[in-house]
Amino acid sequence: MFAYLVKRVLSGIVVLFLVSLSIFLLFWFGPSEPAQSICDRETSNRCTPERLEVFRETLGFNNPWYQEYGTFIDGVFTGREIKFSKNTKVYDCEAPCLGISYRTKQDVFDEMKTRMPATLSVALGGATLYLLLGIPIGVAAAKRRGTLADKALVSSFLAISSIPYYLFALLAWLFVTINLQVPVISDTGYFPITDNPGKWASGMLLAWIALGIFGCTQYTRYSRGSMVEVLSEDYIRTAKAKGLPNRTVIYKHGLRSALVPVVTIFGIDFGTLLAGTIFTERIFDIEGIGLWGLEAVYQKDLPVVSATALFGAAILITSNLIVDVIYSVLDPRVRLS
Amino acid sequence: MPDLNSVASGPSEVSMSDPSAGIQVAEKLHDGATDDETRGDEFAGRSPLRIALTRLRRDKVAVVCFAVVMFFVFVAVFAPLLAKMFGVSLDTVSVCEVVECNYASPDAGLPKAGPPAHGFDPEHPFGINPRTGSDNLAHWLYGCRTSLMIAGAATLAASIVGVLMGLIAGFMGGIVDKVLSFIIDFFLTIPFLLAALAIAPIINERFAASDNYPTIQKVSLIGVLAVFGWMGVARLVRGEVLSLREREFVHAARVIGMPTRRILFRELLPNLVAPIVVAVSLMLPAFVALEAGLAFLGIGVTDGASWGQTILKATPYWDSYPLFLIEPMVGVVLLVLSLNLLGDAIRDALDPKTRR
Repeated sequence: MFAYLVKRVLSGIVVLFLVSLSIFLLFWFGPSEPAQSICDRETSNRCTPERLEVFRETLGFNNPWYQEYGTFIDGVFTGREIKFSKNTKVYDCEAPCLGISYRTKQDVFDEMKTRMPATLSVALGGATLYLLLGIPIGVAAAKRRGTLADKALVSSFLAISSIPYYLFALLAWLFVTINLQVPVISDTGYFPITDNPGKWASGMLLAWIALGIFGCTQYTRYSRGSMVEVLSEDYIRTAKAKGLPNRTVIYKHGLRSALVPVVTIFGIDFGTLLAGTIFTERIFDIEGIGLWGLEAVYQKDLPVVSATALFGAAILITSNLIVDVIYSVLDPRVRLS
Repeated sequence: MPDLNSVASGPSEVSMSDPSAGIQVAEKLHDGATDDETRGDEFAGRSPLRIALTRLRRDKVAVVCFAVVMFFVFVAVFAPLLAKMFGVSLDTVSVCEVVECNYASPDAGLPKAGPPAHGFDPEHPFGINPRTGSDNLAHWLYGCRTSLMIAGAATLAASIVGVLMGLIAGFMGGIVDKVLSFIIDFFLTIPFLLAALAIAPIINERFAASDNYPTIQKVSLIGVLAVFGWMGVARLVRGEVLSLREREFVHAARVIGMPTRRILFRELLPNLVAPIVVAVSLMLPAFVALEAGLAFLGIGVTDGASWGQTILKATPYWDSYPLFLIEPMVGVVLLVLSLNLLGDAIRDALDPKTRR
């Protein structure tokens, strides 16, 4: 077990390292002139070749890429000082240093920390609804397998999940806030939970509902399929034959083993959700990491864009790791293969 | 969904015709039997693909979805011709001729003719774009073209790369398999949306001044979709090949000295057609949705017509001019929905376990 854990964590670190290298190289070799956007910004679009050269020199774009990547990695662990141009201020970027935003001149990691609660709220609320709606509906459908209600549910959920998510969310937002103008929840957005928990919940509610309804269709399918399979097992028949009440058979004996695959998928989904709330944040105007990255793209704020990509990859790698470890505890065959 | 809807017409018909579907005698053809069941089956059994095709033809949902998809393909292929037929074009004449430019008026920015304030305008059947004054129908037609072209090209590229990678990884085994599997896992850990987000400003910075910017943007979008879309197929093919390569016919081919490339493409690939077709048919709607989604975020096709871009522009007008938003939305939803349902139907038809 321990050896498996070490192996898995090490490979996660290697992948994270490679992802950071790829992102670094993308922003190093991708643009025809990496210093152009900061030069344009600092000189209010009067970037002459001489000025550009100054920016290149101070930002280290004249050095070989591996040296600068070393500086970057060094900064992540020990922090560093960043200077944009000769006569501008020196910005102190503490560890973990992901750079200084071109636009706000703030430490990128600090900004990310302030954006984090919003994204986390979206993901946590949405994921909770995935399970709270998806599993009971799926179990209910499995109990009534083959009936009209089951068929209607399965086909209508298939139709919902075939619509692109962002259109579903956009329509939900338009109907609720513009057509119906539902009082409290129409004011969507992120309001810090520490200031006003009620406002926080009402601002998030619409996003959660949209995310939950759309996402729960998948969980209904998983849990229905898994439950149908479990209910045909011998031990369920035994439990029934013993004369146990139907409730006990389904919820105590059946649901327990039916949930294992569902929870595994949930682990991966939660990571994906956390890394990809861009559409939700954009539509419901929630100032989380996705929206931050999107605004940075419009503003050509490259350190922020690369930090967003790195954040997403780190979240996915970590969630995969956690799922693998949990799964190896649940099913010992995994770590032996 | 497909198997639910065909239940009413399915079972009796199937049980009658299926036994005869397996083995057929030549003379049956001369009975003048020209229906779907017997056409082309001169002698013995029918290939699994042919059985699947017959099943698909009997599936009403699949037929309807296929018709819808074909409609969109038709629109995409003949977009310029259709635009000419309706007398519409992407370029706008003089904005103030078609759009209310008097900012004191309550209708400021909205079109002078056609919806929402006026009745149907035959010159602009889908109405006029507020503010810019260009024609909605032209944008819709060309948007369909953009959507299907990008999704189709990306699907093609991703599935070719995926199949090749999967074949090589599964068949070679050993170190090659390890390296390729690592690459697959590596790409899977990069969140697609964030990758597209990171690449967008770079493409913009590098090519914005270029004359071919719209084309470059589309090509790079196809590239991004393909680069982050091939892993699913590769995994699938690798898994299938791993079990197939130990089968007798592959051993036999090796024994008679068939070169590896020939084994891969002549022996293994035909056995993989069914899973590949299923994977590809579900990849296409995902790419259509992603293309529109990226354009909606403003990081996809920003130059030229795209449904997602129209949706982005139309959102603020939902209250005053809902039709403007509904048109592209209907396009995306209908296309994605029918492609998805068609993909599901294809999967069911190819799956020997589903009895219908």
